[in-house]
Amino acid sequence: MTTWSLVLKSFRFYARSHVGTLMGVAVGTMVLVGALLVGESVRGSLHDMAAARLGRVELALPSNDRLFRAEMADQLQADLDTSTTALLQLPGTAKRPSGENRANNVVVMGVNEAFWKLALKPPEFVRIPEDSIVLNERLANQLDVKKGNMVNLRVHNPSQLSRDAPMAPIEDSTASLAQLEVLAIVSDAEFGRFSLQASQVPPYNAFVSLDQLQEAIEKPAMANLMLVGQAQAPAKSPTLGQAQAALARHWQLADAQAQLLQLPDGKGIELRSPRVFLDPPLAKAATGLSTNATEVLTYFVNKIQLGDKSTPYSMVTALADFEPDSVWLNQWSADDLQAKVGDEVELSYYSVGTMRQLEERSGKFKVGGVIAMDDPRSDITLMPDFPGMTDSADCADWDTGFPMDLDAIRDKDEEYWDTYKGTPKAYISLGTGKEIWSNRFGNLTAVRYPQNGRAALDKLAQELLGKLKPTDTGLTFQPARAQASSSVTNAMDFGQLFMSFSFFLIAAAVMLISLLFQFTMEKRTRETGTLLAVGIPARRVRRMLLLEGGLIAIAGCIVGGGGGSLFARAMLSALSTNWKDAVASATLTYHSNGTAWATGASMGFFVALGTIWWALRKLKKQTARELLVGGSQEILGTRKSTKRTSIIAVVLFLCAIGSVGAAVASGSQISPNSFFIAGALLLLSGLAFTSVRLTALARTKALSHADGLSLSGLGQRNAARRRRRSMATVGMLACGSFMIGSIGVFQKDANVDANIPTSGTGGFELMGEASIAVIHDMNNAANREDFYSIDEDIIKNVNFVPFRLRDGDQANCLNLNLAQEPRLLGVRPEMLIGKFTFIDTLDGLKTGNNPWSILETARQTLNLSDDIVPVIADQSVMMWALSGGDPMKSKKLGDTLGYTDEHGNTFRVKFVGQLADSILQGNLIIPESDFIKRFPSQSGYRVFLIDGPEAKIKEISDELNNAMEDHGFEWVRTTQRLGELNAVQNTYLKTFQVLGGLGLLLGSLGLGVVVMRNVEERKSELALLRAIGFEKNSIKQFVLVEYISLLIGGLLIGTIAAGLAVLPAMLSPTADVPYTLLGLTLGGVLLLAGLWTWTATTLSLCGNLLDGLRRD
Amino acid sequence: MASDDSTVLKLENVHKQYESADRDPVPVLRGISLTVQRGDSLAIVGPSGSGKSTLLNILGSLDSPTRGSIRLDGEELAHLPEQKLAAIRSQKIGFVFQSHHLLPQCSVLENILVPALAATGRAPTSALERAKQLLERVGLEHRVDHRPAQLSGGECQRVAVVRALINRPSLILADEPTGALDHSTAESLADLLVELNRDEHVTLIVVTHSEELAAKMGTTHQLQDGQFAGSVN
Repeated sequence: MTTWSLVLKSFRFYARSHVGTLMGVAVGTMVLVGALLVGESVRGSLHDMAAARLGRVELALPSNDRLFRAEMADQLQADLDTSTTALLQLPGTAKRPSGENRANNVVVMGVNEAFWKLALKPPEFVRIPEDSIVLNERLANQLDVKKGNMVNLRVHNPSQLSRDAPMAPIEDSTASLAQLEVLAIVSDAEFGRFSLQASQVPPYNAFVSLDQLQEAIEKPAMANLMLVGQAQAPAKSPTLGQAQAALARHWQLADAQAQLLQLPDGKGIELRSPRVFLDPPLAKAATGLSTNATEVLTYFVNKIQLGDKSTPYSMVTALADFEPDSVWLNQWSADDLQAKVGDEVELSYYSVGTMRQLEERSGKFKVGGVIAMDDPRSDITLMPDFPGMTDSADCADWDTGFPMDLDAIRDKDEEYWDTYKGTPKAYISLGTGKEIWSNRFGNLTAVRYPQNGRAALDKLAQELLGKLKPTDTGLTFQPARAQASSSVTNAMDFGQLFMSFSFFLIAAAVMLISLLFQFTMEKRTRETGTLLAVGIPARRVRRMLLLEGGLIAIAGCIVGGGGGSLFARAMLSALSTNWKDAVASATLTYHSNGTAWATGASMGFFVALGTIWWALRKLKKQTARELLVGGSQEILGTRKSTKRTSIIAVVLFLCAIGSVGAAVASGSQISPNSFFIAGALLLLSGLAFTSVRLTALARTKALSHADGLSLSGLGQRNAARRRRRSMATVGMLACGSFMIGSIGVFQKDANVDANIPTSGTGGFELMGEASIAVIHDMNNAANREDFYSIDEDIIKNVNFVPFRLRDGDQANCLNLNLAQEPRLLGVRPEMLIGKFTFIDTLDGLKTGNNPWSILETARQTLNLSDDIVPVIADQSVMMWALSGGDPMKSKKLGDTLGYTDEHGNTFRVKFVGQLADSILQGNLIIPESDFIKRFPSQSGYRVFLIDGPEAKIKEISDELNNAMEDHGFEWVRTTQRLGELNAVQNTYLKTFQVLGGLGLLLGSLGLGVVVMRNVEERKSELALLRAIGFEKNSIKQFVLVEYISLLIGGLLIGTIAAGLAVLPAMLSPTADVPYTLLGLTLGGVLLLAGLWTWTATTLSLCGNLLDGLRRD
Repeated sequence: MASDDSTVLKLENVHKQYESADRDPVPVLRGISLTVQRGDSLAIVGPSGSGKSTLLNILGSLDSPTRGSIRLDGEELAHLPEQKLAAIRSQKIGFVFQSHHLLPQCSVLENILVPALAATGRAPTSALERAKQLLERVGLEHRVDHRPAQLSGGECQRVAVVRALINRPSLILADEPTGALDHSTAESLADLLVELNRDEHVTLIVVTHSEELAAKMGTTHQLQDGQFAGSVN
């Protein structure tokens, strides 16, 4: 016989007694394993989604509106020895020809055969024939189409010349592809989910032939996205550096939107760009190439005026040859104006501001000379290729992108166009030209070199490419796979989330383990005493009992581990149904690689063993003699220890109040961490006060209260006899009611105060996002009428706040992945005066009447360097979305986040302001001025907030949908949008509430167990009461009073703690405290726990109490 | 009285009082002195509350005196650490309680072997042999594999006696060993104790209310208000 065999015997013998403890361990383990399995499943599901959306793609080269040669993909394929493909990816809309089903925000992709080879499972077709279309499942469902049905597409037509640029045409801003027959509907595995953006929601993907899409947008052989696949052995896949180096080896000037042309008549070689204006890096490289380079800036002016004579719509060129403030006219123009040297001529021209607002400016110049029409400087090639103008037969056909007064065009102007085309009519100095016409797109339209001939041209091209890097023109590979992996790895950890949701369930399980194990041990005190008495060392006795507890824990962990799978499946099922808002309706599937089991079971085991060890601690304090007489009577603390507990209670209370008070004083919403800390402090304080009170009751001298001796008084004093049990009971109830009380007040209702500008809706009625950007100022009635024919009767009194959008990952709770590069919104701060609520701004910034102004003033106030851009974001974005739910990684004011701009330069956004939760969640908001500086090609506005008469909102959104159909607007009520965002948090709270409710149920069950156990222990004394004449009901009352006082005490502590802990949230302007619901819930808990107590008391007291006494 | 090799136990001026957080200390034993020789049998009698059980607990090192000296086989017990006391209890003292305190989960044989686990956590083969011999000696050899719940009160108490003897202690302390037994069983157990005292040459100290049991002991000490009021040989 050994100690171990004795342990095993005890375990077997007391197996039935251990069932309760074992079940407690099982519940705790089940919850832990289940929570971790939920986390593993969410991660696994996100991993599957990432694998599906990227297939075998390793690297990606997105270039948006900057197109490159599609053949470059083939060149890189040979160089990198892996599969590559080039595609055109354009935003668009899709609808059935009948118009009955429509989808906005469609990603239209022109692809070739190579694209499908990168899919996890290549589809059955090899290539998409002309006039055919392949849809992903989500888009097919949205359009309700099947194979063989017809679909129409409208896509954004990328313009080399930004739509925001002066003289940019607007006619061809979109292109359509009609009557495309659905060839196939591809599954996720067949690349139907392809996307570079990390989101659990599949995009609306439509695939057409690359050739057909290139043809539709009139950009033959061009692409704007290149994908590089994994090598056969993934570890040998090309690295970012290798791909970028290969790109540098194979790119050409065309890929930098530049071309070198041999000018006629030996006039030299000219560098020009289809973007009209040379990108600053390109211009810099070009001018640095040769000292003989000639810079050219040709601009379109509305009028050249001399007195009452004027020449309309002319090209004017700025060259270095001319004096500042002077203008040289060509002979035709001088004749037209009857100008002579020394006259003062006024040039009027448009400058394009934000929202494409045209501002006509003018400048006065002295005529410095006249250039003959046969002078080499009268050069037709000085006019850049303005799309919409160069190829026009007549002036009347020009599409300049702004309103023209066609009546001003005279016959002689048409004749000039016929004869001289865009030959400049006037010349000014280069310095003046740059001063008045430079814009964010550049300040040169050409650079000329004196060399001639093919060889010189090729040499110049090589030299120019040598001075440029692909990144200078936005050609930067992205580590698509690594980003996807990072976004999944660092995504919100649902395992941790569910563990915290289950906190009270686990706590209740721990209390049950402790209570039930203690009960079992108390039944065995004599046995323990015997072991000590016969000389087995106390430490070994404790170790034996701990070993026995360990066996219970192992058995409980095995049962709980199995239950964990069921728990996880139940949670995943709830996340697919009732709680689907918590995961933004993502499809989650059960995943397990064993880690969750091992971790959860280990945690469960150690929690259980720790609890059992804790329960065994008191054995240390009890002697064999005490144990042999069944000595489980609790030792009353000394007055000194009671005083110490009182002080601790007061200190804890003050700490909690201080923490809450500090949050209220700072005006900020208390963080969840502070919430738990403050709540825990208050709970502990309350429990410490209860302990003091129970000790005081236990010390009450009977005679001192003889006058007031009552049955209920005796009942209350009985609660002090088993102080630890009473404390555990109060603790369980307090924790449960704390949870219910505190969580209820965090529920958010988007409709509350929705029309107030400081609310989460900003007081706006509608929020819209366009697939294709809107160029014009929608607040201008003339624009609305001219470009969209919007019914003014409906739209008047409507205010639009437009935002520029740089696509990226949604950085909000609707995205389960960690946003790698969050969406950027560019806005003019003055358009948001008084809108939304700022929680905080960076120290040192003056907000004045408009906190939004810090977007403009921060640069100067904080002396920010050029590579820092001030940014404002929602609190939840900073706290959660950018940290993957890890509070340690959350962004604070003053923190920065890295981006890469259109020219491949890195810059950082610095958080200068924090908004209370709003409809802007998911985006980072920067000043428009910085936006267009960083992303000059990103033309127009895609996100709009609309403020208008509430009663007409439906009419307004319908009208906008119809009139601006080509833009593919998705309008939603702001309350709906905020509701969707709130739904995530509300669902988290609901989940927490449900799991906490289960914890409370478990806790209240514990109360019943305690009642039954205590009554069992005291049966003889209750029998005595019966023997001396007490009615059975009086005895029941006697017992009930004891436990009802514990019940009410526990609930009061929990409720008061919750009330104080969430005080800041209650004072928050966005809080909507459901007091009625709260009252009903807590009342329900009181009733439920009361019912357990009553049932346990009744069951314990049924039968003849006196039998027990007779036996004694 | 001189202390030599024949002296098993020697108490000198032993006092015991219980402290209370809120009240004055309660004295239980007041200056007990006692010398017990090897192989003696001794009864301690006295009214309830006279301190009998407290004295027995002190003798058995289950409790420590507030003041005074207690020597077992010449070794002072009063200030030894609990671990050392546990070793002394396992090697030199055997207990028989009013309630047998057998482990319900163990068989008769296992219960007897429990004290043998004290030293190393494993009962030696010699202990097993001795257990069987003792069981035969008390007429319970046929109950070896039975659980306490399957035995009568007298049988349980006999097993408890055997358990007390398993480690060949120098001292057996019995606290009301017959208190829970009927008259005939009590008498039988009392005879057994006396026989074992004689045959095993083990010192026996019995605390009892039973005059019959006390009469079977070599010496009887009367305890009154924490002091010996006299003794009868």
